[in-house]
Amino acid sequence: MFRNILVPTDGSPLSRRAIKQAVRFAKEQKARVTGLYVAPPYKQGVIEDAAILNFVSPRQYEASVRATARKHLKAIETAAAAAGVPCQTLHAVSDFPYDEIVRAARRKKCDLIYMASHGRRGISKLLLGSQTSKVLALSTIPVIVCR
Amino acid sequence: MFKNILVPTDGSAMSRRALGRAVRLAKEQKARITGLWVGPVWQPTLYAYDESVPAGFISPRQFAASIRKIAARQLGAARKAAAAAGVPCRVVSVQNNFPHMEIVKAARRHRCDLIVMASHGRRGISRLLLGSQTSMVLAYATVPVMVCR
Repeated sequence: MFRNILVPTDGSPLSRRAIKQAVRFAKEQKARVTGLYVAPPYKQGVIEDAAILNFVSPRQYEASVRATARKHLKAIETAAAAAGVPCQTLHAVSDFPYDEIVRAARRKKCDLIYMASHGRRGISKLLLGSQTSKVLALSTIPVIVCR
Repeated sequence: MFKNILVPTDGSAMSRRALGRAVRLAKEQKARITGLWVGPVWQPTLYAYDESVPAGFISPRQFAASIRKIAARQLGAARKAAAAAGVPCRVVSVQNNFPHMEIVKAARRHRCDLIVMASHGRRGISRLLLGSQTSMVLAYATVPVMVCR
């Protein structure tokens, strides 16, 4: 029924649980998994004397984003490889992860989004994470929210 | 992975679509379907004059009968869809003014491992807002929830 499952991750423990479930589900559905990590864009701070010390150039920042993305997406790749599920990963840079998630789902022709109820920002069990609720609002395909 | 799928329905077009998806998924997963319909509770009204019964008055018994009839109709759709796909199905109807509580409770009681529901049923006003019951279920559920658009 589902052919391509989008699994957005932010590297939090809850999203790791979602990855595990999504890969299991993909295996049963004989589906592919598309992993996605969205990083915040580079921001140039106001440079004061003290800030010079931890100044990050755009190039350094890009390298660190790539390293973080690889670390988080590696979790999806290894889980998928262990289950024998075809997997593809991508990362994007945006201030609005939900936007990238919905866009990636459309671009990669995913037919299901499998994500955690909240990642890093949800403060309690009762509140959905900000990105999850926005994805639920904007997505045109079914979303499984894993608890 | 999913063995028992809970499908709450309010009879709206959106929830019928969710039902269709749930049945297809259940067939592939060799899972069971548990259909749930939650009706409102009879509420007594206050009268200014107790000599006459106001127009439109419904006795608890009449109310229960109509609830039964509506439940049978709404859940009949679920049963029929499941039967057509050859998916084992059981249906439950309960009464509560707060459907989300019954949905979460039913998921626990019937050991469902997935709730499939529409993003909104009768009350969601726009694409951008989740239905009230859906967002409450998302808040309280302890099992994964699939929100269908």
